[in-house]
Amino acid sequence: MAFKLASSPHLKVQLQTQTVMRRVILCALPGIAVQSYFFGFGVLIQVLLAIIVALAAEAAVLVLRKRAVLPTIKDNSAVLTAVLIGVAIPPIAPWWLVVIGTLFAIVLVKQLYGGLGQNIFNPAMAAYVMLLISFPVQMTSWSVPLVIAQNPMDIGLSLQAIFGSMSMEQLNSYKLGFDGIAMATPLDTVKTDLALGLTMTESLNKPVFADGFGVGWFWVNMAYLAGGLVMLKLKVIRWHISVAILASLFVCSSFGYLLSPDTHVGPLMQLFSGATMIAAFFIATDPVTAATSVRGRLIFGALIGVLVYVIRTYGGYPDAFAFAVLLANLCAPFIDYYVKPRAYGHRTGN
Amino acid sequence: MSAIVIAVVVLTVLALVFGILLGFAAEKFKVEGNPLTDQVEALLPQTQCGQCGYPGCRPYAEAIAGGDKINKCPPGGTATMEKLADLMGVDPEPLNATEEVQVKKVAYIREDECIGCTKCIQACPVDAILGSGKLMHTVITDYCTGCDLCVAPCPVDCIDMLPVEQTTKTWDWQLNAIPVKQLQEDKPC
Amino acid sequence: MLTLLEQIDKGTLWRSHGGVHPPELKNLSNQTKIGQLPLANQYILPLPQVGDSALLAVKTGERVLKGQTLTSGTSFAYSPVHAPTSGVVTAIKPMPSNHASGIHILSCIIDADGLDEAVVFETAKVGALSNEEILTKIQHAGIAGLGGAAFPTHIKLRPASDIELVIINGIECEPYITSDDRLMREHSDEILAGIEIIQRLLSPKRIIIAIEDNKPEAIEAMQHALNRSHLATGSTRITAVPTKYPSGGEKQLIQILTGQEVPSGAIPAQLGMLVQNVGTAYAINDAVVNGRALTHRVVTVTGLNSQTPGNYWMPIGTPIQHILDALGFAGNLSSDKIIIGGPMMGHSLPNTQAPVLKGTNCILLPSQQEIADDDAEKPCIRCGECAVACPALLLPQQLFWHSKAEEYDKAASFNLHDCIECGCCSFVCPSDIPLVEYYRIAKSAIRTQNEEKKQADFAKQRFEARLQRLEEEKLAREAKAKEAAERRKGTMSGGDRDAVAEAMARIKAKKAAEQQNSAADTATAAPELDKKAQIAAAIARAKAKKEGAPTDDSSATAVPADDKKAQVAAAIARAKAKKAGANTAAETPEPQATDKKAQIAAAVARAKAKKASAKHTGTVDIDSTVPSTDKQNEVAAIDDIANDAIPSDIVTANTANTANTEISDKQAKIAAAIARAKAKKAAAKSATIDNQQPSMASDETLNPVDTNLNAKSLSDSAQESQQDTVQKKARIAATIAKAKAKKAQAKLQEKE
Repeated sequence: MAFKLASSPHLKVQLQTQTVMRRVILCALPGIAVQSYFFGFGVLIQVLLAIIVALAAEAAVLVLRKRAVLPTIKDNSAVLTAVLIGVAIPPIAPWWLVVIGTLFAIVLVKQLYGGLGQNIFNPAMAAYVMLLISFPVQMTSWSVPLVIAQNPMDIGLSLQAIFGSMSMEQLNSYKLGFDGIAMATPLDTVKTDLALGLTMTESLNKPVFADGFGVGWFWVNMAYLAGGLVMLKLKVIRWHISVAILASLFVCSSFGYLLSPDTHVGPLMQLFSGATMIAAFFIATDPVTAATSVRGRLIFGALIGVLVYVIRTYGGYPDAFAFAVLLANLCAPFIDYYVKPRAYGHRTGN
Repeated sequence: MSAIVIAVVVLTVLALVFGILLGFAAEKFKVEGNPLTDQVEALLPQTQCGQCGYPGCRPYAEAIAGGDKINKCPPGGTATMEKLADLMGVDPEPLNATEEVQVKKVAYIREDECIGCTKCIQACPVDAILGSGKLMHTVITDYCTGCDLCVAPCPVDCIDMLPVEQTTKTWDWQLNAIPVKQLQEDKPC
Repeated sequence: MLTLLEQIDKGTLWRSHGGVHPPELKNLSNQTKIGQLPLANQYILPLPQVGDSALLAVKTGERVLKGQTLTSGTSFAYSPVHAPTSGVVTAIKPMPSNHASGIHILSCIIDADGLDEAVVFETAKVGALSNEEILTKIQHAGIAGLGGAAFPTHIKLRPASDIELVIINGIECEPYITSDDRLMREHSDEILAGIEIIQRLLSPKRIIIAIEDNKPEAIEAMQHALNRSHLATGSTRITAVPTKYPSGGEKQLIQILTGQEVPSGAIPAQLGMLVQNVGTAYAINDAVVNGRALTHRVVTVTGLNSQTPGNYWMPIGTPIQHILDALGFAGNLSSDKIIIGGPMMGHSLPNTQAPVLKGTNCILLPSQQEIADDDAEKPCIRCGECAVACPALLLPQQLFWHSKAEEYDKAASFNLHDCIECGCCSFVCPSDIPLVEYYRIAKSAIRTQNEEKKQADFAKQRFEARLQRLEEEKLAREAKAKEAAERRKGTMSGGDRDAVAEAMARIKAKKAAEQQNSAADTATAAPELDKKAQIAAAIARAKAKKEGAPTDDSSATAVPADDKKAQVAAAIARAKAKKAGANTAAETPEPQATDKKAQIAAAVARAKAKKASAKHTGTVDIDSTVPSTDKQNEVAAIDDIANDAIPSDIVTANTANTANTEISDKQAKIAAAIARAKAKKAAAKSATIDNQQPSMASDETLNPVDTNLNAKSLSDSAQESQQDTVQKKARIAATIAKAKAKKAQAKLQEKE
C-alpha cells in the first residue's frame, strides 16, 4: 500500500517548455518563408544546416556532461536557437560560418553556462556578434533581393555558393543589383551613403529602396510581425518587451528624424527594416536572458530600443540588434535586482 | 632638481593630510568593543557544552576572535565551521572531533534507575535538569541543548541521548522520506 | 470619492493580482443532495485537534456518547474534541494523522456500538443568551474554521479591536469541491441564523456574503434566505465574485471585496475585518441554538475514481478507509492518489487509516488522467508566468532559486513567508517545477532555523544565569567561611584562659548535673540537661540506625562499614582501581552495607571500572568490569583493594575507629575525614607516579574540603553546646585533616 505522494498542486496547465518553443518556431515560419522568397533558398539551407549542427552539438555536450540527452533535445530550445542563427546569417554565406556560429552558440554560450535556463546571453545573438566581428566580410555579404538581382539564384546555385564550389568572382556577381552595383542591406547602404555625404533622400533613391523600406525587407518584417502577434495571442510571449522595444525605437528615431530628416533614418524605416521585428518578437523575448518582472521587462525592452537606435545611428555596424540585445542581457540581472514588485501586504518601498 | 623637491613636498603634504584624516576618522568612528566576537558568537550553536575546551560559547567566540582554531565545535558541525571560516577569512579545517550525523538530540533520564546523586545537575550548563539529592531527576527537554555533558558524570549510566521526534508541526516536507513501512503495520487493505 | 462602505454597498469589486483558471469540474459532485454515511466500526479522534493545552477526560474502556467531550482544558485557546457517536474508548495511542506527513499523533479510538446515542443537547434561544454565554457555547462545541485551516472560532469571534466588516466566505474556489455549495443550497436558513449570531457578537457595520459566480443556485438560495432572515438588508449583502482561483483565500477575498491588502504578518482583524466560512456559520447556529457540538461536517467525495461522488455528512474521526469502502473506490491504492482537500492545495494522503478532521472539506479520488503526471522537473526558463500568476505578487522564480540552493535567508528576503502556497505558480510552470514543494521545504527549514536560534539564545541566557548563580554561591560560601573563622579567632584570642576556666566550670556543672540526674531528681533539671538528653538521644538514634544495618561477624577481617568509611574506601578504590586495574578478586564474604549503599557503591565502581577499563584494557580484571558481578562482592573487592593499597592509612582509620567504637558518631566521622584526607594525599601521590589524568585527581580534591567543612561546623556546634572531651579531640583531628587536605591540594596544584 504505497500511495503516490506529491506536493500540491496536483493540477497543471498543459503548456510545456517544449510546446512553448515549438510554437515560437512555428510562428517564425512565415517570416522565414518570406525571407527565402526574397533572398533565395540560401535562407532555408542555412536554417536546416544550423538545426542539424545545433542538435548534434547539444547531444554531444550533454553526453559529455553526463546528462540525459533525449529530454533536453526534445525541449526544442536548440532548434529555436538554430533557426534564429540561420535567418540572421547572409543566405549565401559559406557553410562553415553557420557551423561555427551554431557550435559557439550551443556549446559555449548555452551549455557551458549550464544549459537551458542558465545562460546569461542570448545564444543566437552571441553567435551572430562573434561571427560579425570575426568574419566581417562574409557576414555583411547579403545577396541581392531576387526581384532586383542581375542574376537570380536558384537552389543549386545557392548550394554551390554555400558549400564553397563557387568562385569568388561568380559569387560576387550574385551580389550585384540589376544596375551592376554591389549591394548591401538597406541600413548598411544608408549608413555608407550618409558617411559619403549624401542626404537621406538621395540615398533612398537607390533601387534597393524601390519600395521605400528596402526591397523585400518590409515584407520580411511584416511576416515576422504577424508571427509575433500570433505568439502574443497564444500567450507564448508577453507583450511587454516587444512593445517596449518598438515604442522606444519609434520615439528615438522620430525625435532624430524631426531634428534632422536629412541625416537620420525615419521611424518607419527603423521599424520595418533590418532585423527589427524578428528581434523584437523572437530574439529579445527569449525569457532566459531577459528581465523577469513586468516592469523589468519594460525597462529591458526600452533599453534595447534605445541602444538599437544609438548603434544604428552612430555605431560602426549597420544593424544593431545583436549588440543591443547582448548589452541588455548583461543588464537583466541588474534590472531584476532593482525592480522587485511590491509583494502583497507590503507597502511600496519595501 | 626643483621637480624632485616639489614632488617630495607634495607627497609629504599629502601624506600628512591623509594621515591626519585617517587618525581623525579612527577616533571619530571608533567601534566600541569587539564586534567580531559577537559575530562569531552568533554563529556558534550555544549549546554551552564546553567541548571546545572553553567554558561556554562566549569564551570560545572570544578565543576565535583572538585567533584560535575554528574546528573545535562538534555540536555546530561542519556547517558552523564553514561559516566561521568564511567570517574569519581562514581556510576551513576538518573538525577535530568525529562528526556524527547531525540529528538534534536531547537527554533523557531513565527515572527508575536514577539514584538522585545530582551530578548531572551540576554538569548541565543550562540548568535543564530538575531534581534534588536522593530524589529522582528529570530533564526539561525544551531547555536541553543536547550537549552530552550530563551523560559522563552519571554514576549509574541512566542518561540517554534520544533524537527529538518529529511532529506534524516540525515536519520538514521531505515527502520522499515518509517511511512507507509504517503503513503496513496497521491494517492491510 | 466614495467611502469604502459606499463602494461596498454599490457592489464594487477590486482586482486581485494573478490567479489561474483551472478546470472547475464541480458538476461531478454538486448534483445530489448531501447524503449520509453508514456508521463506521471505529472512529479515530486526534487529540487535540486544535490548540495544544488539553487534558484527556476519558479513560480506555469508558463508554462515551455522541457529543460527549473527550478532553478538558481551561486555556483561552482550548478547543475540545467530541465523540462523534456512542461507543467505547478502546485505545488512546498514536495513530496515522490526516496530514501530508502521515506522522502518528495521539488519538482516541472509539469503537462504535451502533446505537448512536447522544448526550442531551441544551437548546437555547439566542435572544436569551449573553454574548459571553454564546462564546462559551461556541468554544465548548469545539467549533473551528471549516474552510480548512481549522482555527478555533471562539478566538476569532473575540477580537481585540472593533470589527467593521464581516465577510462570509462562500467562494469555494478550489476545483471539484462543492461542500459549501451544497450546504448553502440546502441549509441557507441555518447559515443565515449563524450569521445573525456573528452579527450579534461583533455588531459590524456591514456583512458581505461572498459567493463565486459559478454557483448561481447557491447565490439564489442564500438571497432568499437573506430576505427571510432578521438581518437588516442595508447592512448585509450577497456579492457574486468572478470565478478565479484563489479568490477564496482570505487575503485575496479581502482584496477583491474591499481593495485593501492585509499587511504582511498581520491578520484581517487589524483592518477591522473578519472572514468566516459559511460552514462555520452553520456550525455556530447548530451549537448555540441546538446545543450540538461540532461532530459532523459536510465532505465532498469526488473524482473519477469515486463511484458515488457527492457530498456527505461525515462524523469527524471517520477513517478515510471506511469512506472508500462505503462509497466505492474505483482506483488502485498503489498507483492512484487520494487527495485531502482540493487539487490545488490539498495533500496526498499517505495512509487511509487517517480520519476526517474538522478542516477536511473534500476527499478527492482522481483518476490518473485527471491530475498532472509526476513529470520530471525541467530547467527553469525564466518565463515569468509564475510571477504573473502569483496572487501574493511574489517572484516565485527567485524564491525557487534560493530555496533550491538552500539560501534560506535570501529566500526570506524575497518574502517567502507571504507565500500562501496556493499552487498557482506550479500550476502554470511550463517546466513542471514543483515550486510549492520547494517553498514548503524552505519555509520549514526557516522555521527550524528560527526555532534553533531562539533556543540558542535561551540556552545562552540560562548558561549566563547559571554562571552568575555559581559565582554568587561561591562568594556566599567564602563569606560564610570567613565569618566562621573570625568568630573562632575571636573566641580563641578573646580569652584562652577564660575559655579553659569556662570549660572547667562547664565540666563541673555537668558533673553536678549528672549527679543530680542519677539521683533522678526531675525537678531540678537544668536547660543544659535537656540539651544533653537531646543530643544523647540523637546519638542513640544514629547508633540504632547504624546497628540496624545488617552486619556479618563471621569474617575475620570484618570492619564495621559505616557510611563514611564506605565512601572513603570507595574513593580509595577508585584511585587504586585506576592504578591497578582492579586485579584483586573477592574471596571471602564481606560485611554488607545497606542495600542502597551497596547499590551506589556498585554503580560507582562499575562506572569507574568502565572508565578505567578504557584506559587499562590490558590489566583489567573481568570481575570488576562485568556488570553482572555480585554487588556485594564488588563492595568487598573495593574494601580489599583499599586495605591492600594503603594499609597504613587504613590502619590509622581502623584504629581510630575500633578504639572509639563506643564514642560518638562525630568522632568516627572526623576520623574518616582524616583517613580520607590521607587517602587523598596518597591518591595524589599515586597520581603523580602513574601519570594519571589531572582532571580525575582534581575532581577528588573537592571531597576533603567538604569534610573539613563538616568537621569544622560540627566542632563549632559542639563547642557551643556542650563541654566534652571528645570535642577537643575532634577539633584537633579536624585541624589535622584540614592541614593534610591543604597539603594534598597544594601538591596537586604544584603538579598541575
